[in-house]
Amino acid sequence: MNLLLRLGRLCFDSVCVPLGAPLRHASLVRMLVKREIAARTSGTLLGKLWPLVQPGLQVLGFWFMFAVVYDMRSRGGPSFLQYLLLGMLPWLCLSEVLSRSTGLFREFSVLFARSPFPLEVLPSVVLVIPGIVYSTALVLTTGWMLGVVAALKAVLVIPLLLLWCLPLLLLCAVIGLFVRDFGQILPFLLTLLMYVTPILYFPDMLPERARAWMWLNPLADWMAVIHGALTDTVVPINSVFRLAGLWLLLLLPGWLLYRRTLLHVRELL
Amino acid sequence: MPETIIRLDGVSKSYRSYARDIDRVLEIITGKSRHQSFNALEPLSLSVASGEVIGVVGKNGAGKSTLLKLLAGTLQTSTGSLSIHGRVSAILELGASFHPEMSGHDNVYLTCAIQGLTRSETDAAYAAIVDFAGIPDFMQRAVKTYSSGMLMRLAFSIATHVNPDILIIDEALSVGDGVFARRSFDRIMEFRKAGKTIFFCSHSLYQVEALCDRVLWLDQGRIKSQGAPARVITGYSEFLQQQAAILAPAEPAAASGAAPVVAVATTHAGVPQVLNVSVRVDGRLAKVHTLQSCQNLVEVDIKFRAAANLPMPSIGVVILGGDGRYIASAGTLNDGITLHTGSDHSGSITLRFPDFPLLKGCYVLEVYLLCEQGLHIYERVRQVAELNVEQHSLELGIVSLAHHWLAH
Repeated sequence: MNLLLRLGRLCFDSVCVPLGAPLRHASLVRMLVKREIAARTSGTLLGKLWPLVQPGLQVLGFWFMFAVVYDMRSRGGPSFLQYLLLGMLPWLCLSEVLSRSTGLFREFSVLFARSPFPLEVLPSVVLVIPGIVYSTALVLTTGWMLGVVAALKAVLVIPLLLLWCLPLLLLCAVIGLFVRDFGQILPFLLTLLMYVTPILYFPDMLPERARAWMWLNPLADWMAVIHGALTDTVVPINSVFRLAGLWLLLLLPGWLLYRRTLLHVRELL
Repeated sequence: MPETIIRLDGVSKSYRSYARDIDRVLEIITGKSRHQSFNALEPLSLSVASGEVIGVVGKNGAGKSTLLKLLAGTLQTSTGSLSIHGRVSAILELGASFHPEMSGHDNVYLTCAIQGLTRSETDAAYAAIVDFAGIPDFMQRAVKTYSSGMLMRLAFSIATHVNPDILIIDEALSVGDGVFARRSFDRIMEFRKAGKTIFFCSHSLYQVEALCDRVLWLDQGRIKSQGAPARVITGYSEFLQQQAAILAPAEPAAASGAAPVVAVATTHAGVPQVLNVSVRVDGRLAKVHTLQSCQNLVEVDIKFRAAANLPMPSIGVVILGGDGRYIASAGTLNDGITLHTGSDHSGSITLRFPDFPLLKGCYVLEVYLLCEQGLHIYERVRQVAELNVEQHSLELGIVSLAHHWLAH
């Protein structure tokens, strides 16, 4: 019974501590977000617009390559542009969060090594900007393409995706701290993952044999769930279960490792 | 009875050491210890009452900085419990949390947020922070455009305007230079007057003794002694002298330059300055003197300028031995002497040592221009002159005390 209670407590903490930090340290998180925007956009012509413009340009590039150059078309379902945008925006969000998480501790070491900085806010700081930028982009895009009802559903997509990727974020932060090469190799792995996930193509364009293995890729499940939910087609319940199962499987190890690592970071960096 | 504001019960801090990098990772994964510990601070128990001024002394590596960092919250304790009732602000690494691309305004809000202030609390303190830093026209500019002095002023201003209950000061009682150094010193003294708790760690034993209510002497991570400043500082000074004796005694650095009058560069307007210093032995002006113990008159002439807007300063003269330790000193404040200046705020004073009583050895003189309380140093003039004392008698020691023999 005690073990169950402890497990329940750990599960609760693993979500509430990192995600509740913006509430407990609202002023600090706001200033850290401002700090990040200043670091990214200082001296540029577009300034604070860059976080919004950048994903737009990426989507434009993919659209040009696949819709214009390769002339990919839908097969009776949604248009390719619609399919591309609904999948690409969440993917870009996930990719940005995970890529950045590998350098999470080193990026903020100057703050926590010399001041009473609350380390618990770090995961949320990584989530805030991509969360706001891609949520806004996805809601506007969905509203423009599929109407208000779909846009209202789209409001939930990025927050749920970020909640799901929280254990991955924590694990990437820990691995990135100890294995610096991980920060270099992860973007390559993410690119590879993008190509094996039906984001730039329809799932039925894959060969039959490859489709049978797709269930091993949680991103393919995410794409199926997102497209199903936003276009009012079938949301594959198996995908939902697989995603939930994987999340539960990673949640405790991710949180425990992250929590133990926090005891070391001030000495290590 | 003042309330306890800080309590340490068996608090220790050890740093982990791993034979291989992978051992740290394995420890994190398995939860089983694979490290060796290096104790920076042995289990320590301490209670600090609200309003106490605690001095911390000890050699490098004694654990002073570790203790201050634990109190400041930048390190976590390894064992024991540490309870602090109130907000802590530390003058340790000023400006460390500043981001160069952000404006001074945003850096104020960021630093205050790290200190735990809400936005409304920072709003309330902002005007005072800017006013004290004295850079209102620069607050919207990125701090990368600030001079190091401006950065220091802003950082100090934030650290002392977040309404701390406990102030931690490492080494310096003032920051910056010139007028701001005096203002920052006054600011710290205001905290003392307001009954705030202060932790002051310094190698300046004079300042620790003058300022603190209680002194902790740390050695190899342990409290070697604590209590009344005079007693602990005396013990610590003796310890330092023993340590110095173990090491090969260093020859005093030769008084720099050949000019007998040390002309001091006037660098900071608005604060008192030493204009020049000279040392005469039996009226003869020189930079390096050779004299006979108990036979010559040594005179130190000091010309200075006071500041119109500040109280009259005080002056101290220190005689250092060959190993750099203090042999003797004389101060106008301690001797009840008030300095006088003319209409141009400049003045001069002469300190006389008749029949210079030090025994054989090589000595160096230093001159200090201090605030009216004798705590804040406006100017320190090193190696004013070198005195090579010779002796014909067989007296032992450092000084020949005035004495009489009474035959019965």
